[in-house]
Amino acid sequence: MNILGRILIVEDDPRDVELTLTALEEYNLANAVVVTRDGQEALDYLYRRGQFHSRSDGNPAVMLLDLKLPKVDGLEVLKQVRSDEDLKMIPVVVLTSSHEEKDMMRSYKLGVNAYVVKPVDFHEFVNAVKELGVFWAVINEPPPGSVRKR
Amino acid sequence: MAPWNLQSRMGGSRLLRYGFSAACVAIAMGLALVFRHYRFREIAPPFNLAIAVAAWYGGVGPSVLAVVLSAACFDYFFSPPVFSFAISREDFPSFFVFTAWALLIASFAGARRRIEDDLSRARDRLQVEVEQRKQREGEIRKLNQKLANRAAELESSNKELESFAYSVSHDLRAPLRHVVGFSELLQKQAASLLDDKSQRYIKTILDSAKKMGKLIDDLLSFSRIGRAETKKSLVNLEQLVKDVVSEIEQETRGREIAWKIDALPVCYGDRSMLMLVLANLVSNAVKFTRMRTRAEIEIGCADGDNDDLEVFVRDNGAGFDMQYANKLFGVFQRLHRADEFEGTGIGLATVQRIIHRHGGKVRAEGAVDQGATFYFSLPKAQHSEVRAANAL
Repeated sequence: MNILGRILIVEDDPRDVELTLTALEEYNLANAVVVTRDGQEALDYLYRRGQFHSRSDGNPAVMLLDLKLPKVDGLEVLKQVRSDEDLKMIPVVVLTSSHEEKDMMRSYKLGVNAYVVKPVDFHEFVNAVKELGVFWAVINEPPPGSVRKR
Repeated sequence: MAPWNLQSRMGGSRLLRYGFSAACVAIAMGLALVFRHYRFREIAPPFNLAIAVAAWYGGVGPSVLAVVLSAACFDYFFSPPVFSFAISREDFPSFFVFTAWALLIASFAGARRRIEDDLSRARDRLQVEVEQRKQREGEIRKLNQKLANRAAELESSNKELESFAYSVSHDLRAPLRHVVGFSELLQKQAASLLDDKSQRYIKTILDSAKKMGKLIDDLLSFSRIGRAETKKSLVNLEQLVKDVVSEIEQETRGREIAWKIDALPVCYGDRSMLMLVLANLVSNAVKFTRMRTRAEIEIGCADGDNDDLEVFVRDNGAGFDMQYANKLFGVFQRLHRADEFEGTGIGLATVQRIIHRHGGKVRAEGAVDQGATFYFSLPKAQHSEVRAANAL
């Protein structure tokens, strides 16, 4: 196994979380995954606040971000991440159900690295998640300061 | 109250005006008696004055009364023989002059009265007109207000529709993905435990969920076409058709299809939308000729009426009953059973919407088992700008 970057998943729907984890498990990528359930929790993780205050430091190698989230929505999280000197280098992939051009435009304007629409078809979904995981957590060289596992 | 309004003030009461006239003559009579007492040579001026005043303030009728009364008084009291209505010969000219003079004044009064009446009528008319205009202005303002309200309503309902489409896009898809995902997981997990029947049930769940996903996607892209802005440029239709056909040909290997593509003009429109139109029509033609050993599909152009060009896509496939032609372009309307020909019933609705947005028309001709021809018209390049603007 190559060096594995940590994947931060921000997703409120437990079923989507389960499907995503299943897909990552199939390719042995699941042991480096952190799941947060809303935008607030994601920011807590990134800033090591609240329940995450004692986590080891380092940024995730990639953040898989849903757009429609309770409390703080995905675009706000993205905006916050991109405006923070320590977080702005984290690769962010929007993983959403929304086909809307408006969402896509706003995400790209906020500096997202990739925009992926969750396919309805399960095989396509698994494939998409797998490829994302492999690319961002294994192939891509993350910016310095990211958490990596051997 | 200005003095010239005295008449209109008294105008209400005829008796008052005639009384005023009589009073004037009575005063003149008194003055004349005073004049005679002091042996003034001229006795007539007070009467003339009385007539003038009566004519000025009383109008025609009272002035005539003043003339008659003055003449009578003058004749009876002052012109010899006194205390009789007889007129002596030498007094006749002066009496005549007096009467003529009096009548002249009366007629002046009448003329003044007439002019005044005309003026006041004109003023009334103007006033009515001003009032009507004010009323109309009020109505226009009210209508404008209504229009503004309607526009605001439309805007908000449009926004609602947009957020509705957004919710559909986002929220409907998620549970569907879960149905598909967990069914597949179940299929994999329990493959060895399930009998054929159960396997088939799971497969049905999967197929239905996928079909629903396709429906949602089609519906969303259909609604997007209604909202998206058209980006117009010159489009080479012939090249577009060839692109579409070559793309579809990759999916139709192993079938014998005789393509006939006529020369097509350049038109002015949104390239990707027109491509969608052609892709829908051509793939329909391919789909509905599936049972033919040799499918024939022709794409050509008929020079519609003067301002339009009309493109058609003709096939020798399943065709349709002309009786249902009006249903063809409706959303989710299908003329074939799902097990005959698959489809969501949104392709032709999309075609119609795009062509309407270009200011054109769609129609279809066909007969059961005799093939079908779909026509769409587009304004010729030089007319299209105006028409499309009107069609918005």
